[in-house]
Amino acid sequence: MNQIPLSDFLLVSGVLFALGIVGALLRRNVLIVLMSVELMLNAANLALVAFARSYHDGRAHAFALIVMAIAAAEAAVGLAIVVGIFRSRRSVNVDELTLMKH
Amino acid sequence: MTQSYPLHLIPLLPFIGAAIALLFGKKLGKQLIGILSSGVVLLAAAIATMAVYRLGTELPPAGRLVDSFFTAPWIKAGDLEVGASLMLDHLSAVMVLVVTWIGFLIHIYSTAYMEHDEGFTKFFGFLNLFMGSMLILVLGDSLLVTFVGWEGVGLCSYLLIGFWFDKEAYAYAGRKAFVVNRVGDFGFLIAIFLVFGAAGTLNYAALDVPGGAAQGLAQHHWLNQPIALFVGLFILVGATGKSAQIPLYVWLPDAMAGPTPVSALIHAATMVTAGVYVVARMHVVFQIAPVTLAVVAVVGALTALFAATIGFAQKDLKKVLAYSTISQLGFMFVGVGSWMQHQIGDPHASSNYQAGIFHLVTHAFFKAGLFLGAGSVMHAMGGEGDVTRMGGLKKYLPHTRWTFLIYCLAIAGIPPFAGFWSKDAILAGAFAAQWPPDPNAGGLELFFAHHLGHLLYGVLLVAATCTAFYMFRLYYLVFEGEFRGTDEQLHHIHESPPAMTGVLWALALGTIGVGFLGMPNAFHHGLDVFGEWLEPIVREQPREEDVKHFVIFAAVATGAALFGILSARALYRNGFSETVKSFVAKFPGLYKLVLNKYKIDELYDALIVKPLRWIAVVLWRAFDMLIIDGLFVNGVGVLATSVGKLVRYVQNGDPQRYLVGILVGAAVMVWMAANWTVKGASDFVPKAEQRTVTVSAHGAAGSSGQRLQYRVSWDGDEKKFSSSQTSPIFQHTYDSGGKKKILVEAFDPRWGTKSRESHTVTLP
Amino acid sequence: MLALLAAAPDSAKAALADPKTIGAFSAPRGAFAIIAVLAIVGAAMTITRRNPISAVMWLVGTFFCLAGTYALLSAHFLAALQVLVYAGAIMTLFVFVVMVLNRDEPEPYNFRNIWTRAPIIVVAVGYLIYRLWTHTATLEPVHRGEPPAEFGTLAQIGTILFTDYLFVFEAVSILLLIAVIAAVVVARTMRPEVTHPEPTEEQNLGSELANEPGHGVGGPATVERAGHGHGGHGDDHGHGHGGGH
Repeated sequence: MNQIPLSDFLLVSGVLFALGIVGALLRRNVLIVLMSVELMLNAANLALVAFARSYHDGRAHAFALIVMAIAAAEAAVGLAIVVGIFRSRRSVNVDELTLMKH
Repeated sequence: MTQSYPLHLIPLLPFIGAAIALLFGKKLGKQLIGILSSGVVLLAAAIATMAVYRLGTELPPAGRLVDSFFTAPWIKAGDLEVGASLMLDHLSAVMVLVVTWIGFLIHIYSTAYMEHDEGFTKFFGFLNLFMGSMLILVLGDSLLVTFVGWEGVGLCSYLLIGFWFDKEAYAYAGRKAFVVNRVGDFGFLIAIFLVFGAAGTLNYAALDVPGGAAQGLAQHHWLNQPIALFVGLFILVGATGKSAQIPLYVWLPDAMAGPTPVSALIHAATMVTAGVYVVARMHVVFQIAPVTLAVVAVVGALTALFAATIGFAQKDLKKVLAYSTISQLGFMFVGVGSWMQHQIGDPHASSNYQAGIFHLVTHAFFKAGLFLGAGSVMHAMGGEGDVTRMGGLKKYLPHTRWTFLIYCLAIAGIPPFAGFWSKDAILAGAFAAQWPPDPNAGGLELFFAHHLGHLLYGVLLVAATCTAFYMFRLYYLVFEGEFRGTDEQLHHIHESPPAMTGVLWALALGTIGVGFLGMPNAFHHGLDVFGEWLEPIVREQPREEDVKHFVIFAAVATGAALFGILSARALYRNGFSETVKSFVAKFPGLYKLVLNKYKIDELYDALIVKPLRWIAVVLWRAFDMLIIDGLFVNGVGVLATSVGKLVRYVQNGDPQRYLVGILVGAAVMVWMAANWTVKGASDFVPKAEQRTVTVSAHGAAGSSGQRLQYRVSWDGDEKKFSSSQTSPIFQHTYDSGGKKKILVEAFDPRWGTKSRESHTVTLP
Repeated sequence: MLALLAAAPDSAKAALADPKTIGAFSAPRGAFAIIAVLAIVGAAMTITRRNPISAVMWLVGTFFCLAGTYALLSAHFLAALQVLVYAGAIMTLFVFVVMVLNRDEPEPYNFRNIWTRAPIIVVAVGYLIYRLWTHTATLEPVHRGEPPAEFGTLAQIGTILFTDYLFVFEAVSILLLIAVIAAVVVARTMRPEVTHPEPTEEQNLGSELANEPGHGVGGPATVERAGHGHGGHGDDHGHGHGGGH
């Protein structure tokens, strides 16, 4: 689609990324935070694919695929941790997970 | 002419003996070690004798035996090339024979003397180690190899003086010897550096060649004097350290803390003679600037007299002998320093080396004998060394007494014992000495040049008289008169075992016989075997005196000696006579001063030791503890912990806070990258020729430089930029002169960042 | 909707490769605009919902929109994968977990230190986006027209992954394996006898986190054990401290 300038896609990617940041920073529910992280990853993927189309480089697709795989792994482990924490603390509130401090 | 010979065996055998004794001594036992250690020295002596025989029979007078331990040079650094090689020529032949044979005798003696000592094997190990080092010293073929031995004997001296180190005072004595020696070593090292710098070689053979490398020492000048002058003086410093002359003699009396065989070997016969040997060895250098020899002689004479006077009042048997050694070494220095009547540059020019070395040899015999005899006396007295408690020992110690008497006669200079011949040679040489003055010398200098010899002769004569006096004082106090010690000691007195007395007699024989090697040629040509032997080295014809000259000198010397002996006899025949006691009572201050060796040690302590200590303490407390420890070491620790304390608050456990940090970091990095691409790209250098200015901008390195765009404004006006171009070079010709402000801008279209730079040029 | 969009490029072939047409309004651009707006709305909804399940659902919607975008960008395979993996697998996982942990938050938003944090975040993110825009706005145009036929196909991606980037591929597979194991280990229920052979007193599931984080089973919650101490950690007197080294 070379009628759509690259910057359009990048703008969308940027906005999605910004929304992901906001969500990660401003929500208390750790699940929402994790979902925001997924959102950020997707924004990155979008940028990658857009550039791939622009430069006709298929390797960016492979990169995006890898990102997806890693996102999946990260989501799995992250959720496992959340479940584990929930078991002992009965809470999914980010504010209460501050044990790793000085 | 040189010939190869396995000289390395001579020092190697004692080293092997030392290794065995030190490593396996306890296991092998005293008897075996005693035999082994003495045996290796005997072997070394035998090999040395064979080598000397070969040298004497097969090689011409100036020939040498050489032995290189490695085929390649030991040190090869830049211009410096030194081989680990040994050399035997006529001079070192004399030394090596003295060292090995007397060393052997002393080893035999020690097997009996140290029999009851726990550290017997360690002692013999050190003794062998010393022998090895001393042999390297005398056999070395270059200054550096000699220095290796020099240091080695210094070390062994320390080890052996402080042998009974559980007595604190003895350990300190060892340390004092080492430290004072070190001062001398420092001087010696400077001399080595100077020799290498000016002559380019340290090898004796190379230096000895007439007109050879030594010329460098004559040609290079500093302060209008040839470098040889300074070399000579620094060697003298080293020699005063090792040979205990003023001002570095203070360690020798304290060194008596070591076992008596040590005193005999090291501080009578061998190590202390190293200084004299080195001066003789480096005669080529000294001869270039004969004033150095004058200094050597003066130092020697002063020391001789000074030490002799101290001997008057000492109560400790070994201390008297120590001062006597210092005094006799002074004699040797005078001998070596007396310049015979020749011009500088005369190939036959030399000083009275033969006399100095000859006295070295004779002194080795009778001084070693004196010390060993003293050891015998102390052994009989159960370790007592104070002569005020001895007396009348001739009844109980006949062997010791007779040999001791022989030694005393020799040291006093009574013919026909050895000391007479050598001392006479020195005195005659001193009297006749004339150091060639500077061609434009003034009156005073000329006076000294002609008459210094006479002056020194007078000093030495007095010293010789004193020598005779205090030695016989010693003899009478120890052997004659009534016994002044305790009953218990009386009970204990016994003559020493044959191992000890045998050695005493051997040395006595030597004392009697050696002297005849150096009788002057006045009586009959060729009598002066010793002088002839050394002639090729020192290139001085043995002194041809006429009989009349000789008889006069001999008579004067003998008369002085007899005067000394008879005075001593009168005053001390029956112990401390009334005259002596009243003298002491009348002049208590003088007596105390002499007894306390003129308080030189205390002087050194106040002038040198204490200030050094104080500096060290200051450096320690203030600098080391406060600054280095406190500021740097602890400070770093404190810094790290306090920074940590501050930074710790960043971690509050809130992951969302960390995310903010990541975000900010990412933004900062992107910002930096964006601005970095044009950083410095617009720095430019204007070159002006007349009114044409060429401007070349730096251009950022790397790939980003390729896509930068450059613009220039020749008026300094931001609005009047030229159009962009990718090349960073601009050129423009101005219409008028004067000050021009030039603006260059670099622009990165990718990032949208730019940077600007302006310069002002003045045009004609 | 996807089929519709996929068919669109064929019809627009007539107007391709003409630089002047870039940026102009065109059917594909309009379609993209709609999809993009939907995606953004979905994202905004995700982060603002109080109910986690709602958030999940909106996110799924965003992912579908993104899949459509990928299709527009000729990344067909990736579009399919997006639906399958993200919307299909990851979000399903999220749904399960949310169902287990479903709690409504009394206070959904974290406005602690908002006045310090907000400006920083706005500036940082804004700067990044600004850079992204300006950087790419001045890129040399790389419009090369239609991509080659195998662009975006499974075959091409497969070739790339199995030849040039084989190492990456293998590494990621190991990573997935590790993730599986980790997830299983972290999330399993604890039974006391699994960890130590000495089942003396146990107090189950205290409100403390593990005193022995070294035993990677999650807090075994056996806080005191007679005689054994805490293996390897020295004595932990007063166990009320919990890992606060």
